[in-house]
Amino acid sequence: MMTLERLRDGRLREPEKLASFVLGMCRMVVLETRRGTARREGLLRTYGEVPEAMDPPEQRGLDEAKLSSCLERLPERERSVLILGFYADKPADAVARELGLSAVNARVIRHRGLLKLRECMSTNDGHS
Amino acid sequence: MSTPICIAPIPFAALVEYWFGELAPNEEERMEEHLLACAKCSERLRDLAELGAGIGSAFRSGAVWAVISPAFVQQLKQEGLRLREYRVAPGGSVNCTISATDDAVVSRLQASLEGATRVDLVLLDEQGQGRLADIPFEPAAGEVLFCPSAASLRKLPAHTAMFRLLAVDEAGERPIGDYTFIHTPS
Repeated sequence: MMTLERLRDGRLREPEKLASFVLGMCRMVVLETRRGTARREGLLRTYGEVPEAMDPPEQRGLDEAKLSSCLERLPERERSVLILGFYADKPADAVARELGLSAVNARVIRHRGLLKLRECMSTNDGHS
Repeated sequence: MSTPICIAPIPFAALVEYWFGELAPNEEERMEEHLLACAKCSERLRDLAELGAGIGSAFRSGAVWAVISPAFVQQLKQEGLRLREYRVAPGGSVNCTISATDDAVVSRLQASLEGATRVDLVLLDEQGQGRLADIPFEPAAGEVLFCPSAASLRKLPAHTAMFRLLAVDEAGERPIGDYTFIHTPS
């Protein structure tokens, strides 16, 4: 608030740094929200009942049947890397450790898989 | 409404690395500054997020099958998913099913994988033969885990399926183990 008031009054020093400042604040808020969520989940695991699995985020018209069909067409490694990565929100190095790959290789496989998946989703023959 | 344009679009690979938090802090900061100012790249990031959510959803709903890892199975359990696991030794067989209350079935094929550079999984059943080439595996794990599509399993009649793990290299291929699954609908 103080920063905004100074900005309105034209008293802000180095106004060119405002964007970085706002981004930094946003990042802090997001990190705090993530930490809060992790803390709540930890407490629930320890003291509360395990909640039902959450619904996936609302999707904008993604053809789920087509996506499943496209996923089934991927080579095994690509499908495994994508599922472990996106389902469990794991970076490439974590996925690599679990599947006996190098981190670089896991990134390459993930990238290749995503490109194939996007291409399959954009064509009309995605259905099995 | 006009389509937003971007004169310096973020490479797709970098967007993916940003999504998974793999960028260095300064790269991440630059990326966020660009994303905040660029509707086109923000839209591409949203498309990636949507695709990622769809991948997770497809697996969660049992629509696709996948070779997975022991750590991933542990995570599914911690999330509260009801898993039915079958651990089978080489040459062994197991009676198996999937019930209405199961979220997923995990097949754990015990195998000596040390020294193997490539492993293929072959399925033999009354319908014929299928081969999954070059499946991912962690040699030290001593097992290959796969999670069949629960949706497909629920439709299957009583039948017997045999899986064979093969180690493949330049010299040819050698069987690691055969595993028989005797499926009965619940």
